[in-house]
Amino acid sequence: MTGKPDIREILKCVRCGTCRSVCPVFRELGWESTSARGRLMIAGHLLDGGLPDEAALASLRSCTTCGICKEICPAEINSPQLIEGARRAISGRGLLSEAQLKLKTRIQATGNSLGEAQDRLAWMTEKEIPDRAKAVYFAGCLNSYRYPQVTARTLSIIKPLGVTVLKNERCCGSPLLRTGIAAETIDHNLEQIRATGAETVITGCAGCYTTLKNDYPPEFEVLSLSEFLEEHISDLKLKSLDITVTYHDPCHMGRHNRIFDPPRRVIEAICNLEEMKWSREEARCCGGGGGVRSGYPDLSLRMARRRLEDLPSNVETIVTTCPLCMKNLNDAGGMAIDLIDLVAQALPEHASGSGSSPGH
Amino acid sequence: MMNLIDDLRRLVGDRATDSSSERLCYSRDASQVRGLPDYVVRPLNAIEVSEIVRLAGRLGVPVTPRGAGTGLAGGAVPIKGGILLDLSGMDRMLELDLDDLQVQIEPGVIPERLNWALKEHGFFFPPDPGSSAMCTIGGMIANNASGMRCVKYGTTRDHVLDLEVVMADGRVIHTGSRMLKSSAGYDLTRLMVGSEGTLGIITAARLRITPLPRARRLIAASFPTAEAGARAVIEAFSAGIVPSACEILDRTTLMVLSKCNPNLALPMDGDLILFEVDGSEQSTAEEAEQIERACSAAISVRIATGKEEMEEIWAARRLVGAAVSRLDPNLSRVYLGEDVGVPISQIPTLIARVERIAEEAGIPAMKYGHIGDGNLHAALFIDITDEDRWGALERAADRIHLAALDLGGTVSAEHGIGLARARYMERQWGEGLDLMRSIKRAIDPQGILNPGKLGL
Ligand SMILES: Cc1cc2nc3c(=O)[nH]c(=O)nc-3n(C[C@H](O)[C@H](O)[C@H](O)COP(=O)(O)OP(=O)(O)OC[C@H]3O[C@@H](n4cnc5c(N)ncnc54)[C@H](O)[C@@H]3O)c2cc1C
Ligand code: SF4
Ligand code: SF4
Repeated sequence: MTGKPDIREILKCVRCGTCRSVCPVFRELGWESTSARGRLMIAGHLLDGGLPDEAALASLRSCTTCGICKEICPAEINSPQLIEGARRAISGRGLLSEAQLKLKTRIQATGNSLGEAQDRLAWMTEKEIPDRAKAVYFAGCLNSYRYPQVTARTLSIIKPLGVTVLKNERCCGSPLLRTGIAAETIDHNLEQIRATGAETVITGCAGCYTTLKNDYPPEFEVLSLSEFLEEHISDLKLKSLDITVTYHDPCHMGRHNRIFDPPRRVIEAICNLEEMKWSREEARCCGGGGGVRSGYPDLSLRMARRRLEDLPSNVETIVTTCPLCMKNLNDAGGMAIDLIDLVAQALPEHASGSGSSPGH
Repeated sequence: MMNLIDDLRRLVGDRATDSSSERLCYSRDASQVRGLPDYVVRPLNAIEVSEIVRLAGRLGVPVTPRGAGTGLAGGAVPIKGGILLDLSGMDRMLELDLDDLQVQIEPGVIPERLNWALKEHGFFFPPDPGSSAMCTIGGMIANNASGMRCVKYGTTRDHVLDLEVVMADGRVIHTGSRMLKSSAGYDLTRLMVGSEGTLGIITAARLRITPLPRARRLIAASFPTAEAGARAVIEAFSAGIVPSACEILDRTTLMVLSKCNPNLALPMDGDLILFEVDGSEQSTAEEAEQIERACSAAISVRIATGKEEMEEIWAARRLVGAAVSRLDPNLSRVYLGEDVGVPISQIPTLIARVERIAEEAGIPAMKYGHIGDGNLHAALFIDITDEDRWGALERAADRIHLAALDLGGTVSAEHGIGLARARYMERQWGEGLDLMRSIKRAIDPQGILNPGKLGL
């Protein structure tokens, strides 16, 4: 993931423009510099020694790294990876944006991307957690601080299955990697994970998942929460609910890591699932990823609103498996919940019977 | 050149820019032509376009219209600088008039999206370039684009009823009407279709739409030689069949296709002809049988009726042109000499010549195309970081163009002339080119609209 992107890869772009038909940022902004094709031209120019102007920086920084362009590119170009590479190259030249600088200082000061000074484990309702376990639940910054109920719910459901948490978890490093600044926190987390003796790390955040899976040394198995739940579906003795929900594929779970079926199987074990207009490989981005939510909040919300147009008619509840997607879709007026919220509703001990709509 | 950015901003606000990176992004299309604009403007309606053109006219600044920049001839590349007008943001569907079999749209509408909207009502807009998911209809009209279904349904030209055009002096005119036919004066619509942005800027288009056929069938016939395949096509045509598509894919192309989608159920043992017939269940069944008979020289014939299977084959075929790097990651497709056309009977000769030319140049080539209307796409691929290979490629492309002209054909059957093929216009047209120059002078005396194109 480090090093300069290969100019040969960029030259492979035949400028066919196929990516224009799917890039969610281009859809909103319309300038050629905001399509994958334009971003590659700019990246190529910078790698050739060209100097970035405002539009160049905005072009590279406004990519959510959703990867849908890669999915359909006939020349098989991995644009998000090349764009991240170009971002790293310009951060190397000291060209950090204000948002990136803030993020960096925040993570260095507090260990989380939100700059929260509070105890990271404040969400925890369990009194005791084992020091060592077969598996570790990696909660992540967003879930720890913004969705404490989701996090608490997750642990209470999976702890009996032999799972613990890290005593001193820090940001996984994802927002830093994705924005092109190398992560110092990785080593810290690695040590913590090693100390638990866990062979498996489970996470319910798409950003954490892709980072743990692809940017940490392969010392342990990394499972998304949906995969873990699917594996243990019979242990959970879920009851069925008479509701219909839809599922939003987080880009970094679906396209980037091909986790399409596990969340769907968990949902279908509980209730009806109706797909969004674009789903799986073709799912449109919620607009939150790649640092776009913090760097370009308005643009990010516009993409989220556009994504809500893909809802099937008569279905309100959107189940997803990433706190960032959940937050962005909710901020845009959607009704998004985490998969674990749905699972919690279907647990045998859950009181409110079937038929109610799952809230959070 | 004086600085126009403030004037442009007064007209369209922040939809005008002179940022160097943005200009860079608009300096190319899908061809090898390059040219940096001085300004990029993204107008939203005919009034803005007219004001911009008037401003440019007062100062003698070039204006180059652009749709999605998927053109393969450099048509949308501003080789003389000036103002680049990106019309892809004008993408509203203005009117859907099913009773009169027509729609009115803005030029930035993408054909695939128009077809999604029409499908609900049982209609479609037939011209289907391989780029239909991303190009604009304005660009299609300006290039007279066409696709696989044009052998039966005609090219873009045959589906345009009326255009709203901003002329070089800023006037806004209409070239036609809602009428499906008309016999009143010069056919200005046809003059504008294929004019590649050199005569006016299209700001709206009224298009004729066609009811969707109820059934389709795809016949895949594999032949020992391309020549045998071409003979089968001629035989099928003489039997009175008008296929809705008739494509040839040579062995190299098939190899690339199978790399794109290993599950494709296509015979790989020869040069392939794909016939598609559409209509009713009964008519397509009968025609498929007739085609099978016409293919007596084939090694194998397969008939597909499954919707998904057919869609998969066409989807792969549509993007094959750009997919060659799957064969060898070091090779890239270069769109040069890629769009020649000859009378159908000459296709086998053309294929043989292209084969020889490619072999002599040491360049691997896929040969595929719309054999039903004599359009052959020769896809040459090289390592684009190798300077020597570029020279060889350009020479090979030149020979392919000359071979097509020699066989009574055209240097471009659908992608247009732009700059990439401008130097062949004299040879293809002779005196006819003089008339084109006179028309251009009469309509755009200052020569501000897309200067440097079409060999004018
Ligand atoms: C992978 C691939 C496959 C393709 N397959 C086909 C195919 O099967 N058949 C085919 O015909 N072409 C094909 N093309 C070529 C190209 O997509 C078509 O020519 C398309 O119609 C161009 O549309 P565009 O919007 O990209 O136009 P651009 O490339 O932006 O412009 C093309 C020309 O139109 C002019 N223009 C654009 N908009 C306007 C306007 N509103 N008013 C006046 N002039 C305007 C420009 O000045 C330029 O001269 C393919 C291209 C690619 C990359
Ligand atoms: S789809 Fe791929 S090859 Fe085509 S323009 Fe986009 S990045 Fe380039
Ligand atoms: S990764 Fe997504 S946002 Fe980035 S260029 Fe590709 S399609 Fe656009």
